[in-house]
Amino acid sequence: MNFVAIKHVTFRYARRQPPVIDDFSCTLNKGEVVGILGASGSGKSSLLRLVAGLELPEKGSIMIDGMMMVNDGLYVDVENRGVGMVFQDYALFPHLNVVENIAFGLHKLKRAARKERVQEMLELVQLTDYAKRYPHELSGGQQQRVALARALAPKPSILLMDEPFSSLDASLKTSIRSELRQILRKAEMTCLLVSHDAADIEAICDRSIRIQKEMAEATA
Amino acid sequence: MLPILYVLLGLFRPTNENWQIVKQYLLTDYVLGSAKLVLFTGFFAALLGVVLAWLVVGYTFPLRRFFRWALVLPLAVPPYIAAYTYSTMTSYTGFIQSTLRNQFDIKLPPGTIEIMSSKGAIFIMTLFLFPYVFMLTRTFLERQSASYIENARLLGRSRLSLFIKVVLPLSRPAIISGVMLVVFEVFSDYGVASYFGMQTVSTAIFQTWFGMYDVDSAIRLAAWLLIVIIGLFVIERFLRRNRQFNATTSQSRPLKPQQMKGIAAWGATAFCSIIFLLAFIVPLTQIIVWTTWTYHKIWRADFIDLMVNSLSGAAIATAVIMIIALLSARTARMLSSSLAYGVSRLMTAGYAIPGAIVAIGVLAVFIALDQRLSTVYEWLGKGEGALVLSLSLSMLITGYIIRFMATGYNAIESGYEKLPRVYTEASRTLGRGNTKSFFKVELPLLKGAVITGFILTIVEIMKELPLTLLLRPFNFDTLATRTYQYAIDERIYDAALPSLLLIGISLISVLLIVRLEKEK
Amino acid sequence: MQQRRNYVFLMLTFVLVMALIAGCGAGNNNNGGANKSANGTKTTGEATAEEPETKTGGEVNIYTARHYDVDADLYAKFTEQTGIKVNVVEGKAPELIEKIKREGTSTPADLFITVDGGILNTAKTAELLQPVVSEVIDAQVPAELRDKDSHWIGLSTRARVIVYAKDRVNPSELSTYEDLATDKWKGKLMVRSSTNLYNLSLLASLISINGEKEAEAWAAGIAANLARDPEGGDRDQAKAIVAGTGDVAIMNTYYVGNLAASDVEEERKVAEQIGVFFPNQQTTGTHINISGAALIKHSKNKENAIKLIEYLTAPEAQSIISKTNFEFPVNKAAELPELLKSWGEFKSQGIDFAAYGELNPKAVEIVNKVGWK
Repeated sequence: MNFVAIKHVTFRYARRQPPVIDDFSCTLNKGEVVGILGASGSGKSSLLRLVAGLELPEKGSIMIDGMMMVNDGLYVDVENRGVGMVFQDYALFPHLNVVENIAFGLHKLKRAARKERVQEMLELVQLTDYAKRYPHELSGGQQQRVALARALAPKPSILLMDEPFSSLDASLKTSIRSELRQILRKAEMTCLLVSHDAADIEAICDRSIRIQKEMAEATA
Repeated sequence: MLPILYVLLGLFRPTNENWQIVKQYLLTDYVLGSAKLVLFTGFFAALLGVVLAWLVVGYTFPLRRFFRWALVLPLAVPPYIAAYTYSTMTSYTGFIQSTLRNQFDIKLPPGTIEIMSSKGAIFIMTLFLFPYVFMLTRTFLERQSASYIENARLLGRSRLSLFIKVVLPLSRPAIISGVMLVVFEVFSDYGVASYFGMQTVSTAIFQTWFGMYDVDSAIRLAAWLLIVIIGLFVIERFLRRNRQFNATTSQSRPLKPQQMKGIAAWGATAFCSIIFLLAFIVPLTQIIVWTTWTYHKIWRADFIDLMVNSLSGAAIATAVIMIIALLSARTARMLSSSLAYGVSRLMTAGYAIPGAIVAIGVLAVFIALDQRLSTVYEWLGKGEGALVLSLSLSMLITGYIIRFMATGYNAIESGYEKLPRVYTEASRTLGRGNTKSFFKVELPLLKGAVITGFILTIVEIMKELPLTLLLRPFNFDTLATRTYQYAIDERIYDAALPSLLLIGISLISVLLIVRLEKEK
Repeated sequence: MQQRRNYVFLMLTFVLVMALIAGCGAGNNNNGGANKSANGTKTTGEATAEEPETKTGGEVNIYTARHYDVDADLYAKFTEQTGIKVNVVEGKAPELIEKIKREGTSTPADLFITVDGGILNTAKTAELLQPVVSEVIDAQVPAELRDKDSHWIGLSTRARVIVYAKDRVNPSELSTYEDLATDKWKGKLMVRSSTNLYNLSLLASLISINGEKEAEAWAAGIAANLARDPEGGDRDQAKAIVAGTGDVAIMNTYYVGNLAASDVEEERKVAEQIGVFFPNQQTTGTHINISGAALIKHSKNKENAIKLIEYLTAPEAQSIISKTNFEFPVNKAAELPELLKSWGEFKSQGIDFAAYGELNPKAVEIVNKVGWK
């Protein structure tokens, strides 16, 4: 059974503009890391935002882990979807330090459990020494890892990553790519990743989907 | 909001013959007078505010840290008090001329120092209103501009072109919010204009009311003023339509000022000092001196009550304003529709209408409300036809809220403009609901804007006069009304003590909040 | 759907805020009620056991456009003597009138106190007032200083006089208001803005005496003779005389008194260098204006209000007003301060103060027409 099913989704920003995503469908299996490739402006970020519930599709349905998230009559709010997202520039809360950032999504856990989970995540992304730092005191790569840890901490059913490497310099990219791949494998995460760089996708993903401006065509 | 609609409805009431007189004799001159005052004051205040903000943020020079907050202080001095102070100071019996005459035997020809003119009014209004622009622009530059400005510096831009090409366009939303506040203030000003004998729309409104007892025509004039203001908003919105400087990046860090050395640095210090002296130290010193002359006669035990009244009224109203401002700014942002924008604008338009006209609107609505509720009152045993709401402090507080929504709202709005949406989105993907996200993420990040809005509003309300005069309950005096009581009677020296206390309290609240900001 | 939610959120919070405001209003109200009952209404309920003092108590509510410390002192003394609490709202006269109008039958105001006969008359013609019936007052205040239907009672008067530079002007050159509009004073005259009520009432009185046409010519003459555009208040005209901007000015006696008694040496010097001239003594009389207390039609404490007027027009209060504020008393038995005595007796216009109000719109029209700023 498909873990994530996106069916015939159409989306546009404003009524009079042409759709950014037109009748797009795809599926993901559990534990699969899928890359979405496309030039900028091709609507790939919008696709992630639709899955996350930050935007509302005009048509179509999205199902995650056997639960209908959105279709013609139904809309599950962002906070109830159990989706993790790493934003393009990470969106780390500047007023919170690393630990507080990671713990942010763990409000439902008891204090002890929360502490444990944060520790676990810090170890996973190897930032134990930076626990009390604030985002602006971290390097780009470190910020990315915090963002990843924060998204993974509440154990989301799916992780969405928007251009995870765009803010990193090239020399770091290779090592971070493999690092990320390992982390995702370790966490057995289903992951939808968006990039304009085919090399990123190749290095991390199990398979890729190319999305184009006019019509999306899926390739296996 | 009802009271503002009430004022607008004034347009639809039938005209009477007074309106013809108003149109014939007053309108052109008075509209021109207002336009002149608004244009010049707005321009100079923007210039002064932005230049000072950029100096303080972008460069290091002696006393920079001091000026960073000290230049906000002129806000604590109500323009009408500044006007009285400056004109008395420069008058024949004032300190300057009498010293020259008595010590040096120099007699200035009459009219040498002419503060009571349109130039004088522009001078006063600019000096005491520029901190709006300064404060909002400074906060913006400090928090949000680092990467752009450092980039521009790296690209080898000269100081001047950096300022013109980068700083100005970048801080445009903050400058505009600041200038809007200045413009509103100038439009609604009655104190300075009437004292200096300026002809403005605001004085025309009162001339129709007080001179011809024609409240309807006065309200009609105010309604036109309101339309102009809303028009200004629409134009501003239209101009900005395609240039949303909504912060695109969440990577913000404080801007590091550049070293400034030698003459340039001392020049900057001197410039800031002159402005600070003129806009704060000089009038304050003069008022303190006058207070020592009249203290024994003017001090009354009820001054403590006056202070408590001033503070508590302003604090309650400000708290409510900040809550409403936060909620509505947030809603407007989430809906981002023109309707929400329109509603939020109407809410803030109260700032540009003279206080007394807002007061009439509030009075009308409250009395109507009391009449509606009269059965309830009877049931509560308050007697037939009792006025309950309109005799309570809540009427005044509501008046404050309507009139001063703008200061709070503008601060919050520009705060939100700087706050990338992605934080809220991140919070929500982490399973926090809308409301939780607001409290956990947006509110802490907006702290600066909330604090700024709070100071601006509370100081504004404490200075407020016409609304307080008309809407207060029995025996409710504030420092502002006491100052008025003396000043209206040309007893400027006697007005010094309440003025001083008023400035003092405003000053303390400004300092307190500067302190809080620092600790953070 | 998300949007609908936001609307609901917004509506809810507005309701909440309204409740909050109402709550704080109610809270204050309760306080007000508590205060009031502490001072007055205790007479009902458990008051039987209370000391008799509260029985004579009660209150009186005043809307006043007079803003002098001496008034507050007199109210305090009144409360001390009678146990009647005086509640005050100060404001600008036209605004207070508007407030009373809008409050209608529910108005809490008992008395409306203001300066200027025109305004008092406006309140009367707006049917906001009722007659004051009191023999005490009739004996204390001469009929010409009361409304003809006793809707308001005069409290004090001030004269609008000519003030001149002692070193440059010989008082014998001065004669009448009309004379000030002749070429003789071109570039030498000063007066405050025509938007000020004192000037409008002066003009109204001249319309009433000389007719509209002559009054308009007079106003045009005044505007043409001005040494500078009108600025500042009455005191500023006196200062400008001493500074040499002009030689003569139109000014209220009351401000001359205040200058002479100023705490500031420079202001006292100014007062020494100017002379006071009561114009039109040979002809129509000097223009005076009046402060008065008017009884509100829907007053709920009418008896207390009348008591207060009786108190304020009694010789004791009248002497105090005159001494501290340099106004002329309405009660002939009151004692005058030295300065006012030194000016001696003078003849006033003796026209009905109601004319100031009735002719006010005409006066406004004239000053706008002739360009007296």
